[in-house]
Amino acid sequence: MQANFSVYRKEPGAGSKAGRSTYTVELPEDATVIDALLKIRDEQDPTLGFRGSCLHGYCGDCTVRINGKAGFSCAVKVAPLAAKGGEIAVEPIRNMPVIKDLISDWDTFLWDKIDVIKPWLEPNGAASLDGEELIDDKVMAKVRQAMSCFYCGLCDEGCTVLPVDFKFVGPAALTKASRFLCDPRDHATAERLRILERPKGMWDCVHCFEASEHCPREIAPTERIIEMRDMAFKHGITNEKVARHHHSFANSVRNSGWLDEGRLAIESEGLTNIKGLMKLLPTAAKAVARGKAPIPFLHHKRPGADKIARIIEKAEAKEK
Amino acid sequence: MKYAFYPGCVSRGGCPELYPAAVRVAGKLGIELEEMKDVACTGAGVLPQYITDPINARTFAKAERMGLPIMTICSTCQGVFGQANLRLQDPEYRARINREYLADEGLEYGGTVEIKHLLWVVMEDYGADHLKAMISRPLKGLKVSPFYGCFLRRPPEVITPTKETNARKSYLEKLIDIVGAELADFGGKGKCCGFPVLTANEESSLSMTAKHTSEAKSKGADCMVTPCPLCHLSLDGNQPRAEQQEGTSIGLPILHMPQFLGLALGFSPAEMYLKRHIVSTMAVESKVNMMT
Ligand code: SF4
Ligand code: SF4
Ligand code: SF4
Repeated sequence: MQANFSVYRKEPGAGSKAGRSTYTVELPEDATVIDALLKIRDEQDPTLGFRGSCLHGYCGDCTVRINGKAGFSCAVKVAPLAAKGGEIAVEPIRNMPVIKDLISDWDTFLWDKIDVIKPWLEPNGAASLDGEELIDDKVMAKVRQAMSCFYCGLCDEGCTVLPVDFKFVGPAALTKASRFLCDPRDHATAERLRILERPKGMWDCVHCFEASEHCPREIAPTERIIEMRDMAFKHGITNEKVARHHHSFANSVRNSGWLDEGRLAIESEGLTNIKGLMKLLPTAAKAVARGKAPIPFLHHKRPGADKIARIIEKAEAKEK
Repeated sequence: MKYAFYPGCVSRGGCPELYPAAVRVAGKLGIELEEMKDVACTGAGVLPQYITDPINARTFAKAERMGLPIMTICSTCQGVFGQANLRLQDPEYRARINREYLADEGLEYGGTVEIKHLLWVVMEDYGADHLKAMISRPLKGLKVSPFYGCFLRRPPEVITPTKETNARKSYLEKLIDIVGAELADFGGKGKCCGFPVLTANEESSLSMTAKHTSEAKSKGADCMVTPCPLCHLSLDGNQPRAEQQEGTSIGLPILHMPQFLGLALGFSPAEMYLKRHIVSTMAVESKVNMMT
């Protein structure tokens, strides 16, 4: 089979411009994209840079974008793509600075971010030196699932926030944090949550479920992030802005059964935060003029509100 | 066709144009609504699950007692409900919630309630052919970008659990076609609108608003249509602030899905409350007015 490739090229250095090289390769029917890249490098262009290690879809090292879709170049077959005709586009994955060609900078993308979340176990002291700490397999299953993360970066590649804010810690590092937070042998929960609650941490996630959809190992990064936020809720949220927002929301539902958005917007900014409140003014004024804005004092109690409040109080008492 | 109508908070709070527009549209289509009045907010993904699962189970139990499926008009309500309902399919978990939280009120959730967004109701229960026959003002020449937001697309086990439900991923495009408008497709249609991080990271949130609206605009859209009032708050309400942050002008009108359908059913822009938006809908209105 013959296949045409259009491969992203860029030399190291800030000033270098990105471009593309095209190649035509003769390949066996069962060839994968990385087979093609290897053949191109061996026979046509020794300067082409790309990564790959296990070549069995196990290590996550060879993640690239193929015709606009991120995947492992060692696991994507060329034949169906070639059958469509035209060139097969191979690019580095998104949200990651490029070092050269298809080689991306995993340090700033992932490893630096994982360093931040304290990626080691802080033993709770339950295990004696010569003994072992026995743990229920059900509990361990969740830890194991998180441990099956092989840092392929697909969740970060698909993340909604990273393209607008590269400093966001990202789902892969948050998954690593979850691995320790759901491990009963760890005792650093409060400290871990405090770290995760910093700006650019877990509250910056929009819980869009893209990360879970992109993960090839069913680790469910999004669900884990939601779980860690619920944990923070139980422990008392330490991110001031988020805490104000959550408390206002919870109080509103507790008091009236439903959400008082007028009050929520104001209370989330903070009642003494004049600068923050001023910023809301132009939109708020326009909204009021158009009969759009929710006006806090018009917010009434819903029938059944007392029953709803009782459930909330019970749930809080039980979980805290 | 009758539903237990769950309007959610935003359709009467931050987007008060949505509730009456949806009610009018349902009325015109002959969809009967019995509004659920004594139930709680879903929690909108802000409150933790240990609070929202019990209060949502209470809502489901009430709908079950009414013997009706629930209809929502908010993707976030739909998503949060759907995720909770999936968890409550576990009999052990459901029994615990029933025992600990609902028994006091003499309620019990049996796990049988179906929950559907109006968009699904129209496309699945009402049916595309039936709907086509009701279109009295085809929106010819109006270029429209769809915007689903997250919770009518993901997670798949909640939104598209079966092969047939896979079609849900393109209902908006289908609706645009049914009402006779033209599709201005764009890549961001299934992405997050940015609303959930407005508190934690406003800059990030506004960047997303700007990104989606300008991308749609660059595809020639006259307006965007969304089934989610929270997306609307982000895309319409925050569009001026997003323009300011990014130093661009966008000016893309954002229509709620029921408003958009309502126009094609013959309602006037005023009857669909288009004047209540933050971004001017004049360009859409004048196009629509020329169609009558
Ligand atoms: S759920 Fe959060 S972390 Fe995951 S892709 Fe969406 S924004 Fe990123
Ligand atoms: S969580 Fe999943 S997608 Fe993300 S790096 Fe780990 S294995 Fe890859
Ligand atoms: S999700 Fe939104 S609109 Fe729906 S009930 Fe809650 S706050 Fe209200």
